[in-house]
Amino acid sequence: MNKQYIKNIFLITAAAVAIGGCKPEINSPSGTTHGSADFSRYIAVGNSLTAGYADGGLYLEGQKNSYPSMIAAQMASVGGGTFTQPLFDQSQANGSGYLTLTGIDKTTGSPITANVTTNLAITGQTPIPGFGNVTTYAKYTGTDLNNYGVPGIKLLHITLAAYGNLNGFYERLLPGAEGTHNTTYLDFITSKPFTFFSNWLGNNDALGYATSGGAGDVLTDKTVFAQLYTALIAKMTAGGAKGVCATIPDVTSIPYFNTVTPAAILAGVQKANPAVQAIYINAKTAADASTTYAPRAAKSTDLIVLTFPTSLIGTPVATPAGNLPYGLTPYTPIDNKYVLDENEVAIAKDYVNSYNNTIKSVAASKGLAVADMYTFLNDVKAKGLLIDGVSLNSSYITGGLFSLDGVHLTPRGYAVVANQFIKAINAQYGSTIPSVNVSAYRGVKFPN
Amino acid sequence: MRGKLLTLLSLLITAGVYGQGFQVNLAGQQQIGMGHTGTGLAQDGAAIFFNPGAVAQLPDNYVQGGISPLFFKSAFQGTGSNVTYHNSNEVATPFSAYAIWGPKDAIWKAGIGVYTPFGGLVNWGNNWQGKYALESLDLKAIFFQPTLSVRLGKYISVGGGFVFSQGSVNLKRALPLANSAGDDGQAELKGHGHGYGWNAGIFLDTHTGLTAGVSYKSKATTTINGGDAIFTVPGAVQANFPQPNSFSASLPLPATTSVGLGYKINSQWLVAVDANFTNWSVFKSLSFDYANNTAVLQDTNSPRNYKNSYSLRGGVQYTPIFTEGSKKYNSKWAIRAGGGYASSAPADGYVTPEVPDANRIYFTGGLGYKITRNFNVDVSFEYEYLKPRTQTNIETQLSGTYKTEVYIPGISIAYHW
Repeated sequence: MNKQYIKNIFLITAAAVAIGGCKPEINSPSGTTHGSADFSRYIAVGNSLTAGYADGGLYLEGQKNSYPSMIAAQMASVGGGTFTQPLFDQSQANGSGYLTLTGIDKTTGSPITANVTTNLAITGQTPIPGFGNVTTYAKYTGTDLNNYGVPGIKLLHITLAAYGNLNGFYERLLPGAEGTHNTTYLDFITSKPFTFFSNWLGNNDALGYATSGGAGDVLTDKTVFAQLYTALIAKMTAGGAKGVCATIPDVTSIPYFNTVTPAAILAGVQKANPAVQAIYINAKTAADASTTYAPRAAKSTDLIVLTFPTSLIGTPVATPAGNLPYGLTPYTPIDNKYVLDENEVAIAKDYVNSYNNTIKSVAASKGLAVADMYTFLNDVKAKGLLIDGVSLNSSYITGGLFSLDGVHLTPRGYAVVANQFIKAINAQYGSTIPSVNVSAYRGVKFPN
Repeated sequence: MRGKLLTLLSLLITAGVYGQGFQVNLAGQQQIGMGHTGTGLAQDGAAIFFNPGAVAQLPDNYVQGGISPLFFKSAFQGTGSNVTYHNSNEVATPFSAYAIWGPKDAIWKAGIGVYTPFGGLVNWGNNWQGKYALESLDLKAIFFQPTLSVRLGKYISVGGGFVFSQGSVNLKRALPLANSAGDDGQAELKGHGHGYGWNAGIFLDTHTGLTAGVSYKSKATTTINGGDAIFTVPGAVQANFPQPNSFSASLPLPATTSVGLGYKINSQWLVAVDANFTNWSVFKSLSFDYANNTAVLQDTNSPRNYKNSYSLRGGVQYTPIFTEGSKKYNSKWAIRAGGGYASSAPADGYVTPEVPDANRIYFTGGLGYKITRNFNVDVSFEYEYLKPRTQTNIETQLSGTYKTEVYIPGISIAYHW
């Protein structure tokens, strides 16, 4: 092997390495700018959706995949600062506990779910006089906080001084002992200066009514909603911060109300007993404030909740006329709490529309961006969504967007939502926050 | 010597794998060096590929083989994103081998060519934005072409060949079905198939230095039957993706028509131009027909809607002359350069990460060296630049900008007598 040969081998190798190292580069066409906004301290205000709640619980993986944390990560390239969340410790990673999919029933195709009950962050039950037992969770002890999402909170609650004693998810963010809290949510979120905020409050003012079948909760008064929203935004913008507000999704569009349908229940019954003609519900007689209910046959416009135990159907119920099968006669209708009947649907929709008009007009009055989740999620329900080769829709489990509770989103769903916020922010403030890679986030986990 | 050569050629063939963005024009090192011209020239054994009509005009018999390791560098950035994804550094190795023989001074020559006119090797990985559209594609087509060429008179010769195409494909994409660890499922389609076609060409030699040629390579639809369709999905949904399963698919490898001119200005300078027209419009869709369908696993039919494409090429060869006393000799070296332009096949809306195609320009250079009177070595280098292309695919809504560059060194050896 002569020297020339070695030299040639060296040159060829060097050329190959040089070629291997070349990579085409693509510069972001729009460059990077924060536009007229300042993202140096971004805070997120809202309820369970903001906290990263999923699968019927708040747990570490969900927190890490919250849409505010995704937005904040994308803001980093246009001047965003650090974003701290009140994460559960690794040893208590399962937080409040949550649902997992354990199987799919081979004959019915129905999902089988189970609760995760290990590594919880639950610290106890504290009786609060005049209210009841409140579940408390391991306190968040960090000093920084950017994600103020509190599962369960309504706009109605933001000025309630005692609220810290009533909601364990809020309680864990506050210093001090359960029973002694007197900081309103509004004061808490504005206690430290911030430059930018996202606000997705208001869902629970309608959702609680809907998910309880119109029986267990009440809709927040429209005027009260407008007053509180105005007060909230006035205080949030008082220090010159800019922000983005999201509208409330049509609560009747979520899989929680569109998976167990009257037709599906009837079809199941008819398999065993073809003579059955209808299932019966106890329905509101008019779409007004009256409380008159009467039994009638269920229609496709009546929404049955996802948690309705279908095994109840046909079980004997004692009535003055003797034992009659549950849900199959006008004397034994499906309980009110399981059904958002068509009149209740109309009422819920009317309130949500009113809330959203308030949100849009208050946001406009302060020049804030609006992420119109109501329109977006209704479009998804109507037409589905195709992103980077993945078909997404509003179906339970298979749709990929909604988690196992049928109300909250999967990490992939939160990524989609984060991009809607980013789009609205960029449009309003001329910023170029890059979009989230939706493909990097999962939908529902299937058992192996 | 010939024994060794044949061994080396067989190694090239077995080690050989494939090409770039679908159509691969790497069929001869002398021709690559001159910008892929060759339809209007009778250079060497690669005439089997470039113009079977020119084969009978070759002064020698040939055994030759070459390889062109292809470095395909593609980048993708999603619309609105600031993350750039690159395909991984896998090297495709298009090759070509030719053998030509005819009695000295006979009017005919026969030969066989083995080459890789179509292929694609791209691997974006399982972690990029478009993984549900494509993780990786390894597509190979090897053409075997027995050829006969005949001189019809002083000025004209014709030739033709039968083509047997051996194709294989391995395509992987992620499936959006997360397992309990949150990891994606995957679909893998792999199989072999074959197809048939033919080549023909006419070659004119004016004996004034000017030569010309026309050649036609027919469509060779390659059909894969009984390929393996492997779906890795969580157990709970496995019943929707029956295993084992198979698929069939067919890929139309399109016809190409070429015309070319060569002009030997003097004993030092040779120039050539080529124009090529590829009938890509036959590639209307890519369909996979699964043997076992379920409600979830349906046959697929992806529109491709390719459009006919063309390329324009030019090249030059310079053979230095040195003088020894009063005699002039041609150097053992030949220096080549060339370049060209090729238009893209996929129409707007149909660009996929399988073939992130765009209009391209390329530059080539090459060197030839006569080791002995019978033994040549040729090397070439090619750089291709694809115009950045921003696309939203109609089928997947994968939206972003592709930017691609290709680097292709190559080497061949030829023994002729």
